[in-house]
Order: sequence, then structure tokens, then C-alpha cells
Amino acid sequence: MAPSTDLLQGTLDLLILQTLVPGPMHGWGVAQRIQQVSREVLQIGQGSLYPALHRLEYKGWIRSDWGNSENNRRAKFYALTVAGRKRLETERETWERLSSAIGLVLGPEAQA
Amino acid sequence: MTTEWLTRFRFLLRKTLSRRKRQSELDEELHFHVEQSIAAKLAAGATAEEARRQALVEFGGVERTREQCHEARPGWWMGTVLQDARYALRGFRRNPVFTVTVIATLALGIGATTAVFSVVDRILFRSLPYAHDDRIVSVGLVQSLERQEFTVGGFFFDWRDNQKPFEAFAAQGALPHACDLVEANPAQLNCIVAQAGFLPMLGISPVLGRNFLPDEDRPNASRVALISYGLWLSHYNRDPGILNRLIDVDGSPARVVGVLPRGFELPTLQAADVMLPMALDEGVERKSSPGHAMRTFARLRPGVTIEQAKAELEPLFVHTRDTLIPAQIRKDFHLSVRSLRDRETKDVQLTSWILLGSVLAVLLIACANVASLMMARGEARERELAVRSALGASRGRLIRQTLTEAALLSFAGAAVGMALAEGLLRVFLDLAPTGIPFLARAGLDLRIALFTVLMSLVCGALFGLLPALQTPRVVALAARAAKSRKRTVLRRCLVAGQIAISMVLLSGAALLLKSFQNMEQQSLGIEAQGVLTARIALPGFRYDTGQKKMDFYLRAEEALRRLPGIRAVGFSDSVPPGGWNNDERFADLAAEGKPHPAQGTGGSVVSRGVTPDYFRALNIPIVLGRNFTEEDRRGNQILVVLSRLLAARMFPGEDPVGKRIERIRDDQWFTVVGVAENVKNGGLTQQNDPEIYFLRRSVQQDWGGRAPVGEVMSGAAPLMIVDAVLPPKTVAPWVRSQIAGIDPTVPVETETLSQSVSKLADRPRFETALLGFFAFCGLLMAVIGLYGVIAFVAAQRTQEIGVRMALGATRLNILRLIAAEGLRLILLGGVVGLAAALAASQLLKSLLYNVGPRDPATYLAVSLLLALVALAATLIPARAAMKVEPVAALRYE
Repeated sequence: MAPSTDLLQGTLDLLILQTLVPGPMHGWGVAQRIQQVSREVLQIGQGSLYPALHRLEYKGWIRSDWGNSENNRRAKFYALTVAGRKRLETERETWERLSSAIGLVLGPEAQA
Repeated sequence: MTTEWLTRFRFLLRKTLSRRKRQSELDEELHFHVEQSIAAKLAAGATAEEARRQALVEFGGVERTREQCHEARPGWWMGTVLQDARYALRGFRRNPVFTVTVIATLALGIGATTAVFSVVDRILFRSLPYAHDDRIVSVGLVQSLERQEFTVGGFFFDWRDNQKPFEAFAAQGALPHACDLVEANPAQLNCIVAQAGFLPMLGISPVLGRNFLPDEDRPNASRVALISYGLWLSHYNRDPGILNRLIDVDGSPARVVGVLPRGFELPTLQAADVMLPMALDEGVERKSSPGHAMRTFARLRPGVTIEQAKAELEPLFVHTRDTLIPAQIRKDFHLSVRSLRDRETKDVQLTSWILLGSVLAVLLIACANVASLMMARGEARERELAVRSALGASRGRLIRQTLTEAALLSFAGAAVGMALAEGLLRVFLDLAPTGIPFLARAGLDLRIALFTVLMSLVCGALFGLLPALQTPRVVALAARAAKSRKRTVLRRCLVAGQIAISMVLLSGAALLLKSFQNMEQQSLGIEAQGVLTARIALPGFRYDTGQKKMDFYLRAEEALRRLPGIRAVGFSDSVPPGGWNNDERFADLAAEGKPHPAQGTGGSVVSRGVTPDYFRALNIPIVLGRNFTEEDRRGNQILVVLSRLLAARMFPGEDPVGKRIERIRDDQWFTVVGVAENVKNGGLTQQNDPEIYFLRRSVQQDWGGRAPVGEVMSGAAPLMIVDAVLPPKTVAPWVRSQIAGIDPTVPVETETLSQSVSKLADRPRFETALLGFFAFCGLLMAVIGLYGVIAFVAAQRTQEIGVRMALGATRLNILRLIAAEGLRLILLGGVVGLAAALAASQLLKSLLYNVGPRDPATYLAVSLLLALVALAATLIPARAAMKVEPVAALRYE
């Protein structure tokens, strides 16, 4: 199950969108990629992953198509839409603003 | 944003696949995830068994993910609403008694509220049919004899030119006048005059053609007219060619320049078919005193309040008062600026609020009853809800289920209520007195329907949320029949509240009833039995002199006197207790040889011009001196009879007979011949006014001549009063045929005096009947609610009762035990209600006649009635509980 590192509300969306930038990917792949890139710190359980994917799809930020996976199994691939790219921009800006603000609050020694 | 919406839309289109398809796709997706997970673990070196186990553990609950994915879909809840609705309907079908009771209760509450709202809407809430209606005010002077604002030419123009608070200021004529449309298809119409600025001030423009031009609103301008939509429709068949056509109004042609909009109403609410320019000669009016009488309306500048406007007008008013109004009556005149709504409906606003308030109280009781029923049903379904909750239904979902049921019920109630409202409205209209503005036009339209829907939503939320808030605790699954008594606290509060509200309604209704009885049973000072009045409208153009009118009336008098069974035939301006009459000022009458009364004091004196038979016909006794005689009618002197009240005030402790009275304003002298007993002459509910009777002599100026020299009777058409031995129904056709025998073309209106007296009581009768009906409904529902709760409590305690009986409690003990439950509620509700009623009845004060708003007898009677009925409602279930067999009770679950 998911580790105790709680994701900030809305951060999951950002992570998923960012993960999809290189190209379409299926759910399992998204979870694996986030896990790898974060050096195993962030583990996304399917209980959060799939509802989030579906929510993003309903919002029109990603779209899904059935395709074949690396091992030739039918899988659902998610890809960024144009709106999704824009969304990613704003999400990222928000995130950067937020993290730098937190950095300021915590003070220089925390940043060091 | 647009693209996002587009994607979403496309998506919805594409994805509005069946739920099953979506489900299977999701399943496949999740399945793929698990497979990948297993593959990864195998690659890491786990055994097949172990990899599978770990993957599944890591994966967690599939069902929950499915549900959440489903809920990520926009509008997913709509499906559940339908589901909830289907479920609710199934429940209703299983329990028809419950369903019908709830819908009937709601329909009664919502129906009555809707009907009342449709009546009071236009009076209290609906905007008036003018642009900026909230800024239109009625401006002018008021005085004790004229409570509606008026202006006269003598100061109107001064005010119009110098006022600052208004952006528009214009007048219409004081009264519409009857006018004749003379053409191939003649008709008698109402004409009104108005200034050119009048319609623009109201923000009204004609649907066809144009308004008067300022040039047409001058004396000797070519004559133009606007006609009403109704006249255009009925008389000209909506012919657009009506524009510029010449129509003949009262014998002279007028060019039609426009048609008023459909539904246009004068701000005075008077009917008018034709509007003509007022065409005042400004120069002449400015100099005249008083000049033409008008009703003036104005539109406030934005942001100016009525109080500010009044304050700003004050200097103009003071100037007018000090220059135009004679010093001795100056004090009696005041400046008044009122909102148009107040001008139109001030005197019925209180009644409207009271009716609306009481019907809302009934609705509240109804809602409380339904809430109580829903809660009882909730108790019965507790286990069902607990099972649903255990199966994973969230609390929100269960609340939504209850709310869905409530909404369905209240919409059904609203639908039936609408039908009921239609019926109730008809009853109201039959009952309603004349003089309640807009009543004839009250109906159920879209706005009212919206109100009903809103009402039912509020209602549904009210009775839906209460039970929903106390619904499921998982422990209920385990709970057996023995439930904590705490759960009925809310229901008890509701019942106590219902009793309190019915107490308020009942006391209000009882006070009105008592006041109405007082009104009906009071002595009017006249004998209405067998008296018939006939109003004869002589057409002015043929009967154009006082002499011709007098000749007609005297011939009619003679003819009627010859009829069999007629005791007396008299004339008057009007008959008490209501009716229009000429008033004098008390301060204007001075007894000979006494100092003049102080100006502006003493109020008004009713004056009527009568013939000797007036007193005989109405059976008003002469207590001092004598009545007028037939010889007096041929005399020259102006004789008067005083009412006992007036005699006592003008001649305290003296015999007034033979004394002379001077009317200061025109220096007329009258001789007193007698004193008559007081009669009720200010309507049914007002104090008696002093009264002076002038003898209507057989000289032309006393019969409405063109310019009455003595101005004794200011030209009011006399009313014939016929007192007969035979019933008025028999006499009325004779009277008509006798008058037709003199002139077959004059219209005659007959009415029995009992009818006209009864008409005066129409309004209190209406108020009493309505409030009584509401009080009855409220009481009925409150009692049913009380019964329901006590029966429920008794059933709940059946086992306890069994135990008590087994331990030796007598049946009487049991009766007392259960009845005490009810008694507490009655007492609590009653006391709260009594306090509320005592406070609320202050509002009724001005509607009550000869009974105080805190009349102890009324409150005692109401409390007793409520207590008795409520006790009965308690005793029925209590007796049932008492009769329970102990053995059966112990086994009861």
C-alpha cells in the first residue's frame, strides 16, 4: 500500500501530468515512473491513481486510448491533451510558488 | 476554457456508453495493473504464488476503487438520484396509508398557502406595473375629511416648478367622470383627464400611437384622446386604423392619438376607458384659490427617500398653507408623501400580513406533522437503513435518500396543493368583500406556481432534514425493539410546537370571531328590517336643473306612497351606518349667542339632507322637540334636527329646540326643531359621530341644482328610502315599475338596508372566516400529530407496561402513565402558545371591535378548547395502552 508520505492535495494531478509529458503511458507505467523518479519515496497506490486518472480525463486534461503494452497486452494508454499541457504549466507555477513560500517560512537553514 | 469544455463534451458523448461497458473497461484496466505488478515481482525473484499474493495485498480493495473512479465522472450522482427516486417510490407503494396521509397534509398546507399568497401577492410583494415603481409616490395635502393626497391648481404649478426631490411630477384628474361615446354603437364610459407628463412619469408608453403632446394639454387645443386597450379590443376590434380617427366623446369630437397598454391601471386604481388631456389654463389656475382638484404623483430622483422628499417639500407646503388655506382651517391640513403601494393598499396590508402569517403557521404545522410521520417511518426502517449502511452506503447517501423521499412527497403535495389552491381561491373570491384591491384578478399564474414549488422545496428540506439528521447508527443493527427514548425528543418538541402554533391561531380566530359578533349584535340605532333603498341615476343632460330633478323625485315619492303596504317613503343622501355623506366641521357650526368653537377642534359632523319620512322609515326616535313635518318642506326656513350627541355638545345642559345655529363658513342660519336618537353613522366599527339632519325642502336648490345657493345639499343624488310592511323582495319590482312609469330610461338600483349593512361586515366576516378556517386546520393537524406521538410512545413502552402490570400496576396507573406524557406536551405547548398569542394579538388590535387583544374570556375559552381536544387525542392511545394484556405485552417486541 501507499507509504506514509502523504501527497499534498492536488499534487498527484501535477505528478501525473508531468509524468505524461514524454509520451502516452498506461496506469501501471505512471505509478512506476513516479516511484522511480522519486527514488522510491512516492508510491502511488492504485486506489488513488485510477480515480485521479479518470478525474483528469473527465476534465479533459488527458485522453485515453486502448493500445498494446511492451509485452503485447491490451492496455489503456493516457496522453496529455493541449489543455492538459496548459494545466501543467499553471500547476507547476503554483507548486513552485508554494514550495518557495514554504522554504521562506522554514528559513535558510532548512534550505541548506 | 472553451477547449476544455469541448473536450469534456466530446468525452461525454463518447463515454455515454452503458455503465456496464464502462465497468468492464475499468475492470480490464485494473486487471492489467495487477498483472504488471505480478510480472514485476516475478522478475524480482518471487515465486508465482507469492508474487500474486503480494500484488493483491498491495492492490487493496477493488470495489472501492471502482466506486471512486465512477464518482470521478461528472454528473455521476444523477444516476443515483434516479436510483434513490425508484427506491423511494417502491417504499411509498409498500406503505400507501403513510404516503396518502403525507401528501394530503402537505397538499392542505401548500394549497392554502398558495391560495392566500395569490391573493396578497399583488398587495404586498408584486411590483407595480410602472417603470421604477419603487420610486413612484403620491404627493399632496391630506386633511381629516380627505385621507388620500390631493392637490389643487392653486399650488400645483408652484410645487411642480420649485420642487427638487422628484425627477417627474404630474397629475391626473381627481375622479374619473362618466362620459358618453356617441357613435353608431354608443356606450357609457369612464373618462379621466391627465397631464401630458403623467404617462411618462409612470414610465408608460402607449402600445399604439403616442402620448399627448404638451401643446395638446392646453386650453382650446384641438381635442385628442387616448383609449384603453379594453375599449380598443371591445369596441374597435383592435383595429390599428383607430389612430387619428375622430370619436365623439360627450357630444364633441376627439382625435384618438394612442392606445394605452393592456393591463394599464391608473395609480388611483380607478377604471378609465378614455384618457383626455387635462388642459388646464396655467395662468388662471395659479391665481385661483383653490382651483382644480387633482391627484398628483411623482417619481423620486434615484437615491432620494420618501422622508427626504417630504422634508424638502416642507417649505413649499408651508408657503401654500399660509397663503392659500383660510387661517381657521389651516391646522387641519398636512403634507403627505407616500409610496404608491401604500397609497393603493395601505388599509389592507395588515389584513394581508395576518392572513399570510396564519397560513404560513398552518404550513409549518403541516410540515411538522409530516416530519413527525417521516421520523416514525424512519424508526420502523431503522434496521433497513442500518443494513444499507453496513453494506457500504455512506451517511451522505442515506441522507440523500431521505431527502429524495421528502422532495418526491413535497412535489406530489405541491401538485395536489395547486389543485386545492384553485378551489380555495374560488371560495375566497366568493367570500371576499369588495374593496380588497386586485382580488378579482388574483389567479394562479407562473409566479404563483414558482412560489408553490419554492414552498414545497422549503417544506421538503424542513421535514426531510429533521429525520435525516438522526438516522443511522450502526448499532441500530443490533438494537432490538427497545430503543432509547431520546429519539422521540425531537418529535415531542415538534408536537409541543404545533400545539403552541395552533394556540396562536385559535386565539387570533377567537378574537376576530368575538369582534365580529360584537359588530353584528350591536344596536345600530336604526331598524333595517323591511327597508329598501333605491338609487336613481338621472342622466345629467336631460335633468339639467334642480327643478327638473325635484319634479321627478317628488312624482316618484307620490307614486310610491300610493303602493299598498308602504309605511314611509323618504329621501336622504345616504343611509347609516356606512355610506357616503357630506361632512361638516364641528368647529364650523356655532350656536347662537355662544362663542365660536376653537378652530380645528371637534372633528367632523355627519350631515344628511332628509325628508320627514326618513326618521319614520328607519325608526329613529325623536327624543326632544319634533320631527320635520310635510308643511316644513314647503317653508322657507332651513330647519335642522340634531343627533343627541351633537345636541349635548353644542347645547350642554340646555334644550336646543328653537335655538339657532350658524354655519360660519357661509354665514347660513339654521333653526333646530328637534333632537333625534344617535345612530351608528361612521361605519360598523367607528365611534358614533355627531350628526346634523337638514330638512330637504321642496325647493330646487335642495335637489342638486346647478349652483345650490345655500349649498345645503351639495348636489348628491338623493337616495329613496322605502319602508314597507311587505318583504323588500316583493316591493322592489313595484318600486322599479313605478319609477319606470315616470321615466322608463332611468336606471334604478335597489338594495335592502339589511344587505347594505351586511356588506359593511363583509371584510371582518372574510377575515374571521379565513382565520377561523386556518385555525381549524392547524388544530386538526396538531391534534393528529399529538395522537401520533402518544400512540407511538405507548407502543414503544408496551413491554414496560407489561412489566409494570406484572408487578401490580393497575390499569388506571397505566392510563395515568401514558396520559401524563401527553399532558406534559399539551402544557408546554399551551403555555408557550399562550405567551406567543398574547404578543401576536397586538397586531390584531386595529381589526378588533369592542374586544381587547388580551380579552381574558377569549383566552380562557381557547385554552379550554385546546386542552379538551388535545386531552381527547391523548386519551385514545392511553386507553388502548391500558387495555393491553400483560402477557401479550411482555412478549411484545
